Amino acid sequence: MHRMWAICENTFKEGLRQRILIILAIFALLIIVISVFLGPFALGEVPKIIRDFGLSAASFFSILIVIIIGSSLIKKDIEKRTIFTVITKPVRRSEIIIGKFIGLLFLIMIIQGMMTIIQQLVIFVFEGAFDPGILLALPFSLLEIMILLGILLVFSSFSSPTLSAIMGVVFYIIGHASPDLKLFADQSKMPAMKFIAYGFYYIMPNLENFNFRLELVHKLPLYADQLMFTVAYGLIYTIFLVYLAILVFEGREFK
Amino acid sequence: MDIAIELNNIYRSFRNNFWQRPKEVLKDVSIKVQKGEIFGFLGPNGAGKTTTIKIITGLIRPDSGCVRIFDAPVNSLEAKKHIGFLPESPYFYEHLTGYEFLNIHARLGNVKDHKVRTNALLDRVGLSHAADLPLFKYSRGMLQRIGIAQALITDPDLFILDEPLSGLDPIGRKEIKDLIIEQKDRGKTIFFSSHILPDAEAVCDRIGIIIKGRVMHIGKLKEILKKGIKTDEITLEEWFVKQIRKTHA
Repeated sequence: MHRMWAICENTFKEGLRQRILIILAIFALLIIVISVFLGPFALGEVPKIIRDFGLSAASFFSILIVIIIGSSLIKKDIEKRTIFTVITKPVRRSEIIIGKFIGLLFLIMIIQGMMTIIQQLVIFVFEGAFDPGILLALPFSLLEIMILLGILLVFSSFSSPTLSAIMGVVFYIIGHASPDLKLFADQSKMPAMKFIAYGFYYIMPNLENFNFRLELVHKLPLYADQLMFTVAYGLIYTIFLVYLAILVFEGREFK
Repeated sequence: MDIAIELNNIYRSFRNNFWQRPKEVLKDVSIKVQKGEIFGFLGPNGAGKTTTIKIITGLIRPDSGCVRIFDAPVNSLEAKKHIGFLPESPYFYEHLTGYEFLNIHARLGNVKDHKVRTNALLDRVGLSHAADLPLFKYSRGMLQRIGIAQALITDPDLFILDEPLSGLDPIGRKEIKDLIIEQKDRGKTIFFSSHILPDAEAVCDRIGIIIKGRVMHIGKLKEILKKGIKTDEITLEEWFVKQIRKTHA
């Protein structure tokens, strides 16, 4: 445990000190703040715009940060040979993977937390009260990030940062197109196409499961069983991906 | 437990790409390093020194053969507990300060009182003044010293140092040699590779010479130098050049 936290702390500091992270975080905060200027175009829907735009911006920038940092999380250590002194210490390879996963996740949690605070402040300035209801979007956004981070860890364990980043984007796009993929599979008349579409639908993570922005912004009802299913789905998928990353990492050599 | 490193009949080959035939880099390498000795692993560039070291540290696996560290299988936590490793031309996390870098390695090695140990080692390698500087501001010599410090941090029984003297000025080389001898006096085992022969000559109890992936000679320096040579007035460097020419002829 002690060793895993050391890896975790290192990953956190490494991410925190990357210039790109600071630029993205400032940019994301600015976007949330300027969302209020979109009010005149929203025909009296300012509160909804602030909420929807803020949540979307927070989610988008978190994903961007995960893809940029996560895609090189393992491979950079191998290419720069910084892994040599770490892996020869009495540490398990699984501890390295889990430590890196938690370290980057922790960093994203802090950035998301900052973005949420800014958004709540913007809401407070305009409406005279905070809106704790939309905070429910946060844990589900984190679950989505955990899945993406797991995917990036798997690819980063054996492929280049560029390929890992591309795969991250591909999984993100297909993951969000999952309901459309299902619809396409249902309606397709060609058996081969149907098979492929269903294959993708069942294998790729359905990231739309974690999107409750519409319900939260428009104050629509949310059901406990639906939320519990989403949490279980997110956790199981993440555990599977982290385990896969460990298996890949256990098998690799450092030439 | 008198043997610190045991390599038995190690073979290893690499292929540059899928279409190429694998090239054998290590051929039947067998070495036994006794506990408490300084063992110099010498050879020209590309002879297989770093590949052997990577196999000993578990960074790569042999195609065949067996490696044991203090009688434990290589890559086991038990074996790793004994090892302090300095890679060749080490690269470290540039965003960390010297203190942070060492401290993380102390914690990875389960060092109790890791803060005290980190500060003591920074002092030992003369880097206390640079403890709060990020590593990207360190000079080549300072990086080599912090690298040595991370190898020492767990107070291991066995040091594996890949080219620890390369790129250092004479003062730096002297400091590292003194440190190697100091560790031997503390009962530690040191396995180091080098192609700076006079330095190896000065500190080694025994040497192993690898040429083209094959270990050609193992033994005490004086015994090796006397092999087939009638005069005592020969340096390791002269002997080494002769051997390499003979192998390439």
